[in-house]
Amino acid sequence: MEIERRIIKAMWEHNGNLEPLCEVEDKEDEILVTFDLPRVSKENVAINTTEDMVEVIAKMSNAVCWERWGVVQKKITFQSFRKQIRLPEPIEPEKAHALLKNGILRITLPKIRRKVLINIE
Amino acid sequence: MEEVVRIVEEEGIAYNNPIVIEGLPDVGLVGTIAASFIVEKLDYKEIGHIESDLFPPVMVIHDGKLKNPFRIYSAEDGSVVVVLSEVAVPPKAVYPITTALADWFHKIDTKQPVISLKGLPMKNRMDIEKPEVFAVGNNERAVADLKAKQIELLEEGFIAGTYAMMLRECSKRNISAISLLAQCYPVYPDPGAAASAIETLKKFVTSLAIDVGELLANAEEIKLKARDLMQRTALSASEMQKGMEQDMPIMYR
Repeated sequence: MEIERRIIKAMWEHNGNLEPLCEVEDKEDEILVTFDLPRVSKENVAINTTEDMVEVIAKMSNAVCWERWGVVQKKITFQSFRKQIRLPEPIEPEKAHALLKNGILRITLPKIRRKVLINIE
Repeated sequence: MEEVVRIVEEEGIAYNNPIVIEGLPDVGLVGTIAASFIVEKLDYKEIGHIESDLFPPVMVIHDGKLKNPFRIYSAEDGSVVVVLSEVAVPPKAVYPITTALADWFHKIDTKQPVISLKGLPMKNRMDIEKPEVFAVGNNERAVADLKAKQIELLEEGFIAGTYAMMLRECSKRNISAISLLAQCYPVYPDPGAAASAIETLKKFVTSLAIDVGELLANAEEIKLKARDLMQRTALSASEMQKGMEQDMPIMYR
């Protein structure tokens, strides 16, 4: 399914948005999501999270302009990265934090945990 | 029987005991970024390509000219040969392509090492300012060469993908082969790692008078162009057991 999705879905849209490369790592107590965001500074990143979703919208400092690209046969410009990711487990949005370093955005999303101690009979 | 992978050369190419640089796509696209930069900066000439029914049915257009995505370049004096690709290597093609290339290296009679430029995926790459480069050699001669050049050897672990098979196939033909592994992002294009790999490669190729500063200055541009190839390479990588590179071998000492 994932491979099929990638065949039919390009990593860009005509509305000026590029889909960033991203990686989701499901750790014991948290979910780590990273995005590759070249040409982006911290002031131009908006991160929205709910319990089961994280969305990143990042504006580039300079728009990307490809003038001779065969697919579109004309000039095309991209200004932003945009990506929404459905999370594998619910998280606590208020406890989430993020770091942008060397063009990589790392978002740490702590999982909702209700720990119950089970007695051994 | 028809060969599964065919190396197609232009006629009349003279090789001068070349060092071969292999930059097929892998983690961080280290080899692809480094090899493309070398070929462009030193104006190496395209001298052939690799074709196979196992490759995706893809051609690429540059400046209006149709090109094969798996290409071979050479320095004017035939002393350096570069193999690169603009498309991901399908897992089924790994054995045939490395076998065909090793046969070809034997045919062009190189006594110099075959050097693969690759990435060493690091979870904490974000916190590494200047990636270090480690190496694997396929025989005593290659290892002695690496030690003489003070390049740190990868001591334990699994290696997977085209370069692992390249080391093996070159061994079978008594060709020295070396993999230079620069610490890199596992699934993001990494021009910084490519720059480190080129710096180490300069110890082998003295004619490689290029400034990696330009590569680093254009890192963001390169990352933007390399997104799609990185995405497809990451998909291929999962089938090549690349995940095993994070495993501890049972016979660890």
